[in-house]
Amino acid sequence: MRVKNRRIFSARNNLFVLLTVFIPIVLFAQEPLATGKQGMVATAHPLATAAGLEMLQQGGNAIDATVAAAFAIGVVEPDGSGLGGGGAMVIWLNDKQESVWINYYHQASSEIAKINYTTKDRHTGKSVIIPGTAEGLLTALERYGKLSRQTVMEPAIRYARDGFAIDATLAGLLLDNTEIVTKDSASSSIFTDDGFPRMEGDLLVESSLAQTLQLIAERGRSGFYEGTVAADIVKRINREGGAMTMNDLKKYHARIGVPVKGKYRGFDVISAGAPQSGISIIEALNILENENLNSKGLYTQSGETLHLMAETFRRIYADRYAFIEDPAFANVPVQGMISKEFATDRFQDINLYRADPRKYVDTQAGNPFKYNQAVSKKKQSIETNRNVEWGDDVDDENASYDENEEELFDHWGTRRKSKSQPEKTTPVRDTVNVDNDTFKEYDGHTTHISIIDKDGNAVSLTQTLGTFFGSGITVDGILLNCGMSNFASTAAVNAVAPNKQPRSSISPTIILKNGQPYMIVGSPGANRIMTTVVELIVNGIDFGMSAQEINDAPRFYCQKFDDYLHLEGGISEEAANSVIRKGHNVKRYGNWDLFFGGAQLIVVDQDAHLYYGSADKRRGGVARGY
Amino acid sequence: MQKKISIIALICLLISVNLHSGPTYQAPVLITSAGQSADVKLVGMLVKKAGIEHAVELAATEKSLAGKKTLIIVPGFSSKGLGAAGVSAQDEMNRVKALLAAAKEKNIPVILVHVGGSARRYGQSDQFIQEVGQYAKAMIVVEQGNEDKYFSKLSSEKHIPLMLVPKIAAAGEPLAQLFK
Repeated sequence: MRVKNRRIFSARNNLFVLLTVFIPIVLFAQEPLATGKQGMVATAHPLATAAGLEMLQQGGNAIDATVAAAFAIGVVEPDGSGLGGGGAMVIWLNDKQESVWINYYHQASSEIAKINYTTKDRHTGKSVIIPGTAEGLLTALERYGKLSRQTVMEPAIRYARDGFAIDATLAGLLLDNTEIVTKDSASSSIFTDDGFPRMEGDLLVESSLAQTLQLIAERGRSGFYEGTVAADIVKRINREGGAMTMNDLKKYHARIGVPVKGKYRGFDVISAGAPQSGISIIEALNILENENLNSKGLYTQSGETLHLMAETFRRIYADRYAFIEDPAFANVPVQGMISKEFATDRFQDINLYRADPRKYVDTQAGNPFKYNQAVSKKKQSIETNRNVEWGDDVDDENASYDENEEELFDHWGTRRKSKSQPEKTTPVRDTVNVDNDTFKEYDGHTTHISIIDKDGNAVSLTQTLGTFFGSGITVDGILLNCGMSNFASTAAVNAVAPNKQPRSSISPTIILKNGQPYMIVGSPGANRIMTTVVELIVNGIDFGMSAQEINDAPRFYCQKFDDYLHLEGGISEEAANSVIRKGHNVKRYGNWDLFFGGAQLIVVDQDAHLYYGSADKRRGGVARGY
Repeated sequence: MQKKISIIALICLLISVNLHSGPTYQAPVLITSAGQSADVKLVGMLVKKAGIEHAVELAATEKSLAGKKTLIIVPGFSSKGLGAAGVSAQDEMNRVKALLAAAKEKNIPVILVHVGGSARRYGQSDQFIQEVGQYAKAMIVVEQGNEDKYFSKLSSEKHIPLMLVPKIAAAGEPLAQLFK
């Protein structure tokens, strides 16, 4: 690994650096809101936005732009995602009026049962599971893109090879996570200088990563999942007590399926299914639909709305922990959870006058199984989109599988077996036993990309390494995930199993109005992702905010396993005092705190045919249109 | 060029005079955070490298001062750190104020060490810097954190010697000098 240890300002090739690093940053920086008619790209870094925009301007579509931006963000925002992690994207193909969910989250190896993982192993080889990013992005490109692999990967390779200026967000994260990146010599050589974290403005060069990206550009998925890169990953993980085989990598495939879908006040909500958390987004919106939020007032000003939304969030988290896991390994009551009937039940469980139960941890899960079957049958009769191969719906028996998925299911076997299991008739809340690390996690890790092209094709993508800098282990320039930390640590819902994906908060979402994109939205932020995404949607749909207003509005967060209602600065004293009087324990934050995510969103003005993009000022992102 | 050298020499001389005329710093040292950023651990590494007897306590209190002869405070706000410690920003500010008051009462000199650069400036970080600056007898700052001359201004207002270093690793040298 050759790392150039120098500040941008003392670079010998100043002209080159000026052209390739500073100009895009200067052009794109400090412009959180953007407008465009031909396309819009919103990412967490100006160089990733530039990569996406470059593809659109070369005639690529939203998928080309997303793949370019996603490869690039793994380079320029290495703390949040990259080749060593995984993610998911929801695609809206406007001409076909069809939505697709590509799930490329990392998954446990076939040998996972051999390792004895504890929460102390997060930054060791034991925490690394099969990365999915390269497979997911290449699958999207091959199926739905127009440009060549070399073209879309060129910006990422360029940034890694030539370097880029460390921005304030990455500099802060390096300070916060020095211990993680200095444990591994390869990571340390990239991210530190004399054993201390590199700082804002320093040039970060990732030569080995550039070589690996180049290999993938030349050879496709085999450049990562077979050959020397795969061998290096397997060797390193096994040397550190982990368990992964060459076959695990070779057999890994992205899952392509139908997103989960719901309706909120006449808008279509399309999001990532289980084990990701679009289900929770739809459940929350369904519950909130039982009240007229607009007449109550925005949650930043109205204690009544704030209380209702907080009580809603407690319940969606309780349900999520009780039921959501990899549907290939369990009977997840997806249709029940996203049904209006279940939401009505959950709404009726809310006491509008006080926090009830008083302690958040006592929030009980509902019983979505009660509504699962009826809704599934109803859905079968109205669902006409059958062009996709696999979904996490319980009625997927009629779905067809392509060769890759056949291989996948043959390999797993367990999904079909799960279908023969008797359907659960009672909630499994008494078996919920979650990894405590999950609830001590204050990181806002992960990253989100929202893109739309001139034809109205849209992509909402969220990808991650698990936590900031993942396992902290770098192999061939690839920072590897710590995906094991996303599984529950005991035998319960979301327990680890061979070839299983862990549950994830990621919720890439697209909202349609009259069958056309209205909002493309998502956020990083660990457990805060769901509350943030719901708040963004409510801000847009219920309160008619502009893209920038949606993103700038103060946020809040609460869930079952953390007895605080976390309020960002800007939520009024009156609203805060109102919820305190109702029995909530409030924790206050400053304005625009990274704790509450880093949303990248696009709002479409369908009448004016204009795209409005907004990058979150909490995280130094940039939206750019043309 | 000669003029520049003369100015630099003069600054060095003034710093040197200030250091020598200021309090003497002795080990053992207590190192703590103001804002719960992980920067405190980096300063711990620097002090260890300098061979100075010390203890690092992220949330040190008056009790932690027992037997200590110098207090190094590393200001820098971190949501992550506060979350991990389970305290609010106000709790943290109250702890820092109480600790500074206790150090003053015990005549334990305070050194402010800021290594986080621009990532640990503005907003709530500056509130902690301001608070610690009221009590500090010396400041060591990675120069990126002083791009707006914030520390320079604080230094001249409070008549505290300010030692600027180009990067974190370089902060070890002036630290070691203070304890010689």
